[in-house]
Amino acid sequence: MTVHDMKHAASDSARLEAVGGRLSRVDGPAKITGAAKYAFEQQLEGLTHAVLVGATIAAGKVTAIDARAAETAPGVLAVLTPYTIMELRGASDWLGNPPSQPTYAPLVREVTFSGQHVAAVVAETFEQAVAAAALVKVWYDETPAIVDLSDGKAGDGIPIDAMTKEWGDAEAAFAEAPVRICAAYNTPREFQAAMEPHGLIARWEGDELTIWEPSQWLDGMARTYAEWFSIPFENVRLVSPYIGGGFGSKALALAHSAVAAAAAKMLDRPVKLVLNRPQNFTSYGGRAATRQTVAIGAERDGKIQSIVHRGVNETAVDGMWVEPLGSVTSIMYATPNFSSKQNVVRVNTVVPGAKRAPGENPSAFGIECAIDELAHELGLDPLEIRLINYAERDPHARKAWSTRQLREAFAAGAEAFGWAKRSPAPRSMRDGHQFIGWGVAAGTYPVRRAHGEAVVKILADGSVVVESSSIDMGQGTYTILAQTAAETLGVPVENVTVKLGDSHFARAGVTGGSRLAGVMTGAVHKAAGQALDELIGLALSDPRSPFQKLQANTLVVRDGRIASPRGEGPDLSIGELMSAVGRDHIETKGDTLPASTTPEERYKNYTTVAMSIPHTEGDYSRYSWCAHFVEVRVDEDFGTVRVSRVVSALDSGRLYNPKLAESQWKGGIIMGIGQALLEEGIVDRRHGRIVNGNFADYMLPTNADIPDIQTISVGIPDPHSSALGGKGVGELAIVGIAPAIANAVFHATGKRVRDLPITLEKLI
Amino acid sequence: MTSQIIIDPPEDGHFRNGLAANGSTPSPTTLSLHLTINGQTHALDIEPRVTLLDALRERLHLTGTKKGCDQGQCGACTVHVDGERVLACLTMAAQVEGRSITTIEGLADEDGTLHAVQAAFLEHDAFQCGYCTPGQIMSAVACIREGHAGSDEEIREYMAGNLCRCGAYPNIVAAVRQAAQELRS
Repeated sequence: MTVHDMKHAASDSARLEAVGGRLSRVDGPAKITGAAKYAFEQQLEGLTHAVLVGATIAAGKVTAIDARAAETAPGVLAVLTPYTIMELRGASDWLGNPPSQPTYAPLVREVTFSGQHVAAVVAETFEQAVAAAALVKVWYDETPAIVDLSDGKAGDGIPIDAMTKEWGDAEAAFAEAPVRICAAYNTPREFQAAMEPHGLIARWEGDELTIWEPSQWLDGMARTYAEWFSIPFENVRLVSPYIGGGFGSKALALAHSAVAAAAAKMLDRPVKLVLNRPQNFTSYGGRAATRQTVAIGAERDGKIQSIVHRGVNETAVDGMWVEPLGSVTSIMYATPNFSSKQNVVRVNTVVPGAKRAPGENPSAFGIECAIDELAHELGLDPLEIRLINYAERDPHARKAWSTRQLREAFAAGAEAFGWAKRSPAPRSMRDGHQFIGWGVAAGTYPVRRAHGEAVVKILADGSVVVESSSIDMGQGTYTILAQTAAETLGVPVENVTVKLGDSHFARAGVTGGSRLAGVMTGAVHKAAGQALDELIGLALSDPRSPFQKLQANTLVVRDGRIASPRGEGPDLSIGELMSAVGRDHIETKGDTLPASTTPEERYKNYTTVAMSIPHTEGDYSRYSWCAHFVEVRVDEDFGTVRVSRVVSALDSGRLYNPKLAESQWKGGIIMGIGQALLEEGIVDRRHGRIVNGNFADYMLPTNADIPDIQTISVGIPDPHSSALGGKGVGELAIVGIAPAIANAVFHATGKRVRDLPITLEKLI
Repeated sequence: MTSQIIIDPPEDGHFRNGLAANGSTPSPTTLSLHLTINGQTHALDIEPRVTLLDALRERLHLTGTKKGCDQGQCGACTVHVDGERVLACLTMAAQVEGRSITTIEGLADEDGTLHAVQAAFLEHDAFQCGYCTPGQIMSAVACIREGHAGSDEEIREYMAGNLCRCGAYPNIVAAVRQAAQELRS
């Protein structure tokens, strides 16, 4: 449970507190004073520490493990191996599909990637566990590994028919087009690299399991634990009050989670297991490496006639991940002919996973570079060609956009950036020994939707509590839900306490796909509305209420006080009314599910993603949009690229809190700068091992890499996307940054780099 | 330290997480230490191999100081030792006996009044998930004290040792700039 003291966050102005106001983070004071306890920082009596041992081969068999030295080391309580760990039942996947195997082995005998967990040591202290883990001796029978997409053994992969999108006759139209470009675009393996490592504390009390674990999806992970250990869902409690960044990586219970929970069960002691930083590069998947070819055929006036797109992403030998590479390709521009197909290729890696805007991010790198290449081929301004081919409706779904403020984004961004002053020719702008390049690219992300629920309580003193098992990993959930409840109920925001991150609260689906804000503001709005109705109903009808004799039809609540709309008669605080009618609380649970929903469907809604609502449901196609304008400076001699200016105009619909939304947008832009210039998982081709699995060698952007960034909101409320009019925020802004930078580098240097990251050796 | 880092591959060709495995485990002696943290003295009986970071987090339950990488690459564990910024993950607890250690929990006044840097971080939304934030704030306080907050460029450079994956950098620069001005005036 988490309570936030609002005294530092509250603002004098009611405007700031309302939905759409720039209220500072209500969880801020806890985070800036060190008081915020993250999941695995809980202190438990008798806590033990587990450390994992990872495979040093990428493919083969474990033939023997000698744990004797580790077992007799000081403080060691147990060494778990594939031979000694308790048997777990297989768990269904995140869509709810049943497991492919009846049992699940989080410590493996068959190794399919380097770093895969083969043993774990549990000891009284962390230091003892680390030291003893180094004593575990493992023998392998190694077989050749497929190290990456370009491995000769990798092959062409498996066609994913569900990814095929076609209309018209794309290949014929491309062949006949007077102007044609065709190029291949590659993105490397990238990592989420949240600052808080993955880890957990697991504690058993009889057949009840409590897990303190950073989580983007408490109910989904609780379901997995329940299935692994064959216990009822209700017996699992997940606690995750703060999450130190997720970016898609913290939505699933993983092998290390199972090891910790099994160790706690076997020892009957609470176990803490935190992945060390290198293990955070091998224990769960980052963004899959991708390859795309984009062919565009156009008329001489720039009008696109055909787009032919082929994509490939890597997946694991024993797990499937599809990074949808045609997602932006198929909707960004109007074209009468289109074809997109995708394969996946199995390599010896941990199964790749979701990283900020999976699919849309690499997809945009392909199409937004390709359109820039077409503009250059035609001698058109890169902004102009995007307007010439502006899609007035969804070309794939063939539906109207719910809202698409992309034209407005181009206009506002170009104006603020000064795009009109751009000199068109590459290598034509310079400042001393630096080439200057200006690039533009668009981005988009679908409005993913789902049903949600929330509990709202009005307490005896008039204060309000909102409860949900959804989470705040920095997006601002605590804050926007406080604003939503405050506005709906008519109370000051400092009277609202939001409690999140405990699976015993009202259920919640996954926090992913930029959907939480839309889902949860809708649920809280509904629950708070019901609570308000009940409060006013009591005030009007309870014989003990001073309003009862007023014979009014309704009452209003403003700034925590109840009165008649015209101000006549009594004027009570909510607490005074609760006291008068003898109630110690009002509690409502609001949900956005249809009334006919069965308990089984409710469970499925919150513990799987199978009931997500398509973004093209009904008459509309729903997306967020953005346009990025980037300036780079490239050193003429050394080829070093620095981003010196970014202006982005974004359409996320209505913003529930612009201060926090701008921060998320900037965060996406910065992660995109890292993707464009720095980030690349490097695999040793001899051993199939990630060799730069740490923060010195896998380079994230630092403060010194980031210039001033201007964001401009061009969104308008979108009633088709969410109850309160917002669209997605968190994933949008990273989409399009890498191509905007690549396009700017081309403008600066005349060199087109189609392989990310754009490092200096590719330019000199 | 009794552990030894392997430089050459072991004879059997099997690396074991970088630590020597000579079959016998060292039996570490226990040290009795007194650490002065945020003005309070704490007695600790710990092995010599315990880092300051793990002493703070696991023994003293001062979890405001964060573990991001445990190898000196991210800055999340930044604390002050005698007023200078130090990475707690690369500092043994035994090294700092008799020194004055300040963590994020000791930065605000005893009456709860926030340090100017903390208040500026809140005002400028200089964090999202909050995990790197204590380290950022401790670094920023020292950065200003060192006289390295004279310009945005200087702030960016001297705050570059503290990674933030949420990407709050522009807001961190704004917060440090404002706090530096307030602390100078």
